[in-house]
Amino acid sequence: MRIGFNYTLGDTAPLVRRLLDSGRIDYVELLIDNFLSVPPEEMAQGFGAPVSFHIMFSKFIENDDAALDSMAIRLRRLIDLLKPLYVSDHIARFNHEGRQLYHLAEIDYITDYEQVRCRVDWWQQKLGCRLHLENYPSIMDGGRDAPHFHERLHRDTGAGVLFDVSNAVCAHLNCGLPLEAWEGIIERSSHFHVAGYNLSILAPHLVVDTHDRMLSEETLGFLERYRARFNTAGSTMTYERDDNFVETEIEHDLDRLRDLFDRSSVEAFDAPRV
Amino acid sequence: MHRVSDSRVIDADLLDSLTVPARQGDYARDSRAFVRIDTSLRVYWHTLFDICPGLLELSGPDGLAIFRPFMTWADEQKLSLNWTYYLWVDVWLQQSAFRDQIEVELRYALMGASAARWATGDRSEAQGIVLGAADLPNLVCGWKTVTLEGGREIEQIELEAPLPTPDGSHGYFLVPSRSLDDGFPGWSPIPR
Ligand SMILES: [Fe+2]
Repeated sequence: MRIGFNYTLGDTAPLVRRLLDSGRIDYVELLIDNFLSVPPEEMAQGFGAPVSFHIMFSKFIENDDAALDSMAIRLRRLIDLLKPLYVSDHIARFNHEGRQLYHLAEIDYITDYEQVRCRVDWWQQKLGCRLHLENYPSIMDGGRDAPHFHERLHRDTGAGVLFDVSNAVCAHLNCGLPLEAWEGIIERSSHFHVAGYNLSILAPHLVVDTHDRMLSEETLGFLERYRARFNTAGSTMTYERDDNFVETEIEHDLDRLRDLFDRSSVEAFDAPRV
Repeated sequence: MHRVSDSRVIDADLLDSLTVPARQGDYARDSRAFVRIDTSLRVYWHTLFDICPGLLELSGPDGLAIFRPFMTWADEQKLSLNWTYYLWVDVWLQQSAFRDQIEVELRYALMGASAARWATGDRSEAQGIVLGAADLPNLVCGWKTVTLEGGREIEQIELEAPLPTPDGSHGYFLVPSRSLDDGFPGWSPIPR
């Protein structure tokens, strides 16, 4: 398992460098569309480590074609030059009736399916690569339809899932979607996310995906139970932190992940062939 | 523990309420819908007051005397809440009971916040934005980052010879490269 850390802008660059130097991470996941104004040659020098691309604000389901065409040209140049481990994007709603949603909304996995399928086909063609689409940290009941939606989308478009382990735990705690519902997707996926989430201030039986604290026991338990399925050839696990950058906590979580997957690769090696 | 509710509510059912504080009251305080709407509103709150803490001196520490009426007005006016969010807060403040307490520095801070939001959120090929206000002398520029480890930059520019006044409360123009040498292309009205 290759372990990575997300890099979104400026402030955390020294932290990323230290995590690379100490060997805690193997690659950096770039929130790539934040850097479209940086000369590609400068991007290529980067952190001197492998990178993956996380596209945040293409809004490819709802954005107009001209804006996406222009973005695709610039993204493709970076894909060719930096050869990312994967290219990922988001299935979510960014606007409602012309109004920006700052906390992205979850799509209706049933009624929106056809539209999303067409846009995924189109966006993959524009980018000239396979996309990995992240699962949403559901709060409401629609989240229960997400695994089937992602399986169907994979079948129809070839897009992979960037499976966010802690988002699945959020959906489990919030809308009762069993973690086992993702088994088929985990089996087929190679690229994963993991992060801390927080209890809702108003209703502590609910959780909100905050990326501001250490991994929960539920998340670590989930990883532990499925560790051999996560840890396959070429697999990646990006640890996300977007707030409250306590370095000792981050190091501790990364060490726990490294330890967990080192153990599973030994087991996989020793396991009898069947 | 999962709460069992008799009817299925999905995220898309709540879209009309995600930006309007008054509509949160349509749901029970301990319901998931209430928490979901609260999560959404909190992001708008933090986006405003974390970036422009000077507003809290007007509104009081919870910000609600500004936040609630502004978001209601934004809904009525069908504002997009895009990068111009802070500029429309300025417009609202000018016609609110806070009108006489707003210092020039706060108004420039709001312009700087909008320029910064453009510089981090815009995905077009433009490199910079210039903002002007009808009744303020200085311009505020926002530049996108040109290095991997850097960030957006905001600057205030004092002009020797003033530009024409924008038609509305504010005007903007985009700059294709990182320089203002190409001259003044004219003000565009800020989008709603
Ligand atoms: Fe994620």
